[in-house]
Amino acid sequence: MNLVQAFMIHTWILTKRSLIVLIRNPFTFIPNLFISLFFLLVYTGGLSGIAQLPQFEGADYLSFILPVSIVSAAVGGAGGAGQSLVRDLESGYFARLLQTPVTRLAIVLGPTIAGMLQLIVQTLIILGVAFLLGLKVEAGPGGVLVILLLTVGWGLAFAGYSVAIALKTKNAQAAQAGTLIFFPLIFLSTTFVPLELIEAQWLRAAAIINPTTYLFESMRAVLIDGWVMGPIISGFAVIGAVCAVTVAFSVRSATRAFKRE
Amino acid sequence: MGEGTIQIKDLVKVYKDGFTAVNGISLKVDKGECYAFLGPNGAGKSTAVKILTTLSEPTSGIVQVGGFDVKTDPDKVRWEIGVVLQETGLDKELTGREILEYQARLFHMTRRMAKERATHLLEMVGLENEGKRQIKKYSGGMRRRLDLAVTLVHEPAILFLDEPTTGLDPLNRKAMWNEIRRLNKEEGVTVFLTTQYLEEADQLADYISIINEGKIVASGPPEELKESVGADLITFEFKNKEEAGKAAWLLGKSSKADYQKGKIVTVSIQEADRHVVQLLGALSREQIEVARLDVTSPTLDDVFIRVTAEEEKE
Repeated sequence: MNLVQAFMIHTWILTKRSLIVLIRNPFTFIPNLFISLFFLLVYTGGLSGIAQLPQFEGADYLSFILPVSIVSAAVGGAGGAGQSLVRDLESGYFARLLQTPVTRLAIVLGPTIAGMLQLIVQTLIILGVAFLLGLKVEAGPGGVLVILLLTVGWGLAFAGYSVAIALKTKNAQAAQAGTLIFFPLIFLSTTFVPLELIEAQWLRAAAIINPTTYLFESMRAVLIDGWVMGPIISGFAVIGAVCAVTVAFSVRSATRAFKRE
Repeated sequence: MGEGTIQIKDLVKVYKDGFTAVNGISLKVDKGECYAFLGPNGAGKSTAVKILTTLSEPTSGIVQVGGFDVKTDPDKVRWEIGVVLQETGLDKELTGREILEYQARLFHMTRRMAKERATHLLEMVGLENEGKRQIKKYSGGMRRRLDLAVTLVHEPAILFLDEPTTGLDPLNRKAMWNEIRRLNKEEGVTVFLTTQYLEEADQLADYISIINEGKIVASGPPEELKESVGADLITFEFKNKEEAGKAAWLLGKSSKADYQKGKIVTVSIQEADRHVVQLLGALSREQIEVARLDVTSPTLDDVFIRVTAEEEKE
């Protein structure tokens, strides 16, 4: 068996394992999905009136708020990758894996891929609910694909971050606390209204430097305006850059965790 | 070449904080041997096992396991060894069968081979009816047995056991000993175990090294180690002090070290079991009646207490 084959099998086995553990513990993802759907319903129901404002340029508030719901659900799925590594460190299964000839990368990749698959399913459920609420995607089916890709990119960035924190701290509480970064990322942004309607200068500044803003804007572009390439491209570019940083961070932590004392 | 063997030469392990956990250990384990590291907590046993099992790197010295250098060929070493650490290494959300099958697949077995191997191992450790249950529902003893089974998936030539029975009740401890003995004697697996329990080392090992503060302070086969502490002890009890006095005088003629206290006379002698009949004969010829007789050999506890005490004096 050559190295590539071995790597593929190791990654597949460890992904399958993560998925089984995930399915056996539905309460690791149901609350998160529930909160995201709750956001979608409550904000659409309660705030849709503000979409009458000219700054919304006639957009449907459902389309405006949908990316917030999708992205907050994705954070939960992606954070699971780090949590699952902490669980392995605590149970001793991590040490057991290190004593096998398993490819080191597969140990990290398994839970990460499982997290991405979870995130795709969650996103499809949220999109399904949004369609039931009357969602129309201006860019068509291709637009849905763009939303999925952006979500996976965002999820990967967050998974890299959570894996890095997990392997660095080797502590469940610290890994859990690390996910709190999700609050500033989601709420210091164009979460509820377009940038022009944000009055506080500090919040406006925060929204401009917050990478999530570009994610929201590119998703809104395909939902509301169709194939407007500017925001779509900047969305992918920003997500790509963030991914590069967090994945590099996680590779560094992983190299340290795998390095023998 | 080198299959099933362990060779350590001048192993030193200094941790980053400057703590010297292992301070110049050399040893050799032959194929099929059962070798025990005996020592108190913090003696360096676990550090040595971590190095031997590729989890930690030696600071200096040569360590070869299964014929491969742990520093330069860790992956080849991993195919040769099975490791049972103090804490079980199980994902408790999985079932017993799943964890065995995954382990087999990680060691490159086909799906069918993995299934067969899992069935065989579940039977071997007596968990054939528990294979479909999640590990979190297993008892402590069952988890230990499953952990051993996971370790054996790829039929390793060398088995490392770091304090394999710590925290087990006597019944589970006996079962674990029997399994280790069977693997060692019947399947020819080389066993390297660490333990704090002298009884455990005495029961299982062909060769014991006593380790304290990172150094081997005494080593040899269990019998030899026990002999090195000194002679056996025979304790006679007589009807009264007068009889005892007569006996002490009589026994004193044939053995140098004797001691009387009230009705009790003790004789210290090498290979007591061979001499006891002769001594009893001498007493009965003088019509001295023995009320009670006891022969004790020194235990490994005595060896251990003596060598560690000597270390402290230095």
